[in-house]
Amino acid sequence: MNKSPWIFLGVLFALSLSWWGMVFGPASQANAAKADLGDGTSLHPRSGLAQQGEQIYRENGCYYCHTRMATGGTFGYEIQITQLGADKALTREIIGEEYAGNKIFEKAYAFQAVAAAQDAATAEGADVEATKATLEQAKAFANSIETEDSLIALGISGVTIEGDLAGELGLPIEMSDADKSTVADATFAVSKGIEQWDEIKDRVRALKDRAGAQFKLLPVADDWPDVVYWGARRQSVTRDFLHDVHAMPGVMRVGPDLSNVGGRQLDLNALYAKIYNSQAGGKSSHMPPYKYLFNVRSAKEGEELPTNAVTVSTGDGFKQSVEPDFVVTPTYKSRALAAYLQSLRNDRGLPEAPLPAVRKTSNPEEGE
Amino acid sequence: MSEEGTHNAPPAPEANPEEINASCRGPVLFLFFSAALWAVQATGVGLLGSLKMHVPGFLADFSHLTYGRLQANSWVAFLYGFAGNAGLGLTLWMLSRLRGMPLARPGFVLAGAFLWNAGATAAMVGITMGDQPGVAGYELPAYASRLLLIGQAFIAFSAIITYFSRRHQQLYPSSWFLIAGLVAFPWIVGTAHWLLVETPVRGAAQIPVAHWAVTSLQQIWLGCMGLAAILYFIPKITGRQLYSRQWAAFGFWMLLILGGWVNLNSGSPLPVWSIKLSQYASGLFIFVLIAIGWNLRQTAKGVPLLGSNDLTLQCMGFALGAWLITALFTFGNVYSDWNSLLQFTYAGTAVRQFFAWGFFAMAMFGAVYYVAPRLFIGEVDWACSGTYKWIFRLTAIGAVVILLAGLGMSYLHGHALQAGSAEVLKKALMPMRIAFLGEILFFMSSLIFLGSMACLLFRNCCGEYSPMALIRKCRAAKAEGGAE
Repeated sequence: MNKSPWIFLGVLFALSLSWWGMVFGPASQANAAKADLGDGTSLHPRSGLAQQGEQIYRENGCYYCHTRMATGGTFGYEIQITQLGADKALTREIIGEEYAGNKIFEKAYAFQAVAAAQDAATAEGADVEATKATLEQAKAFANSIETEDSLIALGISGVTIEGDLAGELGLPIEMSDADKSTVADATFAVSKGIEQWDEIKDRVRALKDRAGAQFKLLPVADDWPDVVYWGARRQSVTRDFLHDVHAMPGVMRVGPDLSNVGGRQLDLNALYAKIYNSQAGGKSSHMPPYKYLFNVRSAKEGEELPTNAVTVSTGDGFKQSVEPDFVVTPTYKSRALAAYLQSLRNDRGLPEAPLPAVRKTSNPEEGE
Repeated sequence: MSEEGTHNAPPAPEANPEEINASCRGPVLFLFFSAALWAVQATGVGLLGSLKMHVPGFLADFSHLTYGRLQANSWVAFLYGFAGNAGLGLTLWMLSRLRGMPLARPGFVLAGAFLWNAGATAAMVGITMGDQPGVAGYELPAYASRLLLIGQAFIAFSAIITYFSRRHQQLYPSSWFLIAGLVAFPWIVGTAHWLLVETPVRGAAQIPVAHWAVTSLQQIWLGCMGLAAILYFIPKITGRQLYSRQWAAFGFWMLLILGGWVNLNSGSPLPVWSIKLSQYASGLFIFVLIAIGWNLRQTAKGVPLLGSNDLTLQCMGFALGAWLITALFTFGNVYSDWNSLLQFTYAGTAVRQFFAWGFFAMAMFGAVYYVAPRLFIGEVDWACSGTYKWIFRLTAIGAVVILLAGLGMSYLHGHALQAGSAEVLKKALMPMRIAFLGEILFFMSSLIFLGSMACLLFRNCCGEYSPMALIRKCRAAKAEGGAE
């Protein structure tokens, strides 16, 4: 440690280690990330006003009080059967009595049996008695569960039953759009959603390879405060910042996280009112007013507010200017900022960050 | 192996301290006085920003004075204004003294100092106009970082020439830290300037670059300059040898290797491997803490640093304690639960403020207290030495208030965020409101520091023609006239 050149070289080498690890490595990986993975989750760059709004967000230092980082956490898997396999006994064995005892499961197989009996009845040399017995058995079971559950059972059975027969089996004779949607989207959960992969992997493989069932694995957020309480739909990931000119993940959460503000703040006027004066309309907030981003002029006697005026709702359902006796309209900068904020969304799943189901739902500060 | 062992020529004779001090006088005093001005600027602007946490509508109609811009301005004024000037000034003086040679090319230092301060001023103006790059903790517009880099190059040129102007049997550990600080700054700011501002990489790639730059500026650049001062002054004032060069070397290399990796938040939108690596690095940081802490503890064993009668020693003792606490906090980030709880709260800012003022500023205040009077010819001292003690007291109390508020109350904020509590806003604001008290104390200590520096200069700057000497002459002449 007494040779100056070695100190210099050593310092350079030591610095280069963290430079490589924290700059070159992650930056290369992030730089190589593709916006389009070819799976329908392509991310598009901001354009026009929203892109310029990013500059307004940066100039005003909004990132000191707001983050754009929704965090994740642990999650469990819910196995959702979308179509049962043909072998009832085998499926029962795989999913266990806890789920096989559900009436939806029983009715789905009853529907499969009816459909099979119908097919058999039309075939040459059919066993008419057996077919009748199956139908009677299914009819006897018809009214044992709710219609909606019957629709789900029909959906996961993978068969089609229409007309009078449907009525006899506890299904609507004429299906509404909602009924059709229930059938099409029907799923039957065969796990609690708290199980880890290691706990369910054998069941998943058996359902796929042996029972021939079709299913999907739904991640269920177990302890994700940002998703459960704060309006995010999923975890923020590197790709969310891919097209940002200036990535501003944020410092503190004095204000709410904005990673999905565009997904929950759809009312543009409300957003303007929030930016103009977050306490307007008697709301509780600590955000400073950004009045300089708006045009403000005195209202004339009896003047109607222009269509682009920023308003708040009064208690009796009427709307009044966000600043009583003044007409407040957004400037170019506030329109750009609002467009940027509305572009911040994470309500579309990505392969690396799927939308999890939420176990609890309450959001005390929604829209804050 | 010593440097002498590789050369046959004997080392040049060591210059006497008076000669060295005289060579440093102009440039170093200029840097110290600039630092004092910037300290007032940093704390004043920071105070204004913090006031907005109490009264959101305060100055809300001025677009140039948003909370975000004031926070950015305050940190830039501290980092590049106060820390840069004070740290570079001390670097030049310590390198000259450690090498036993007068400061080489002081003209370069003056030119560099002008450019450096022009760069810091440009950054302040740029941020006020909304030109910051959006990287909290860096915040340099392109033109400002260019000026800072050129200015630093000028100053570093003088420092390097001084460093190589004489060979020593042994390099004192403070030299390693000072050289590392000089090398690290252009590397860090150059990288950030190039990859975040000049030709910015894609948005997603900016996050790791920004984190590395911000962390390295704090842990490595400020850390090296501050620790160099502590390692120099504690043994010097206690009159002891540094306990172990090996421990110092271990701490030095570990700091350089790990400094840029640590403190990445577990919720950062980055590849998992980089977050895990950062956690491991934070865990390994305990070795830096032990190496530095143990070494200095053994060096000053039995000497009550904070209870000492020597103000410089008191400052260094507090600075050492503050550095150890922030290093412990860094180590704490190895636990992702702990990090997850505090990552979006005021805790990070509070620890940064504690590091900045409790560690770095305190080390600089102590060093300036020791160095500045020695730069003048003859025996001079601070005008009102009692007032300088208040710089220590106010800064120490302010730093502790901010740390306690930041860690204790941010813990509650973190819990509220995780539990979805409706009181989250109240809990977010509480630590910042209490930390406001600390910021007031920082502002007061900065004002006293500036006043003390001004008094020192007025009394001693121009020999017989200093303002104080002229005032004394006038008074004497008046008294003589009155007597007649």
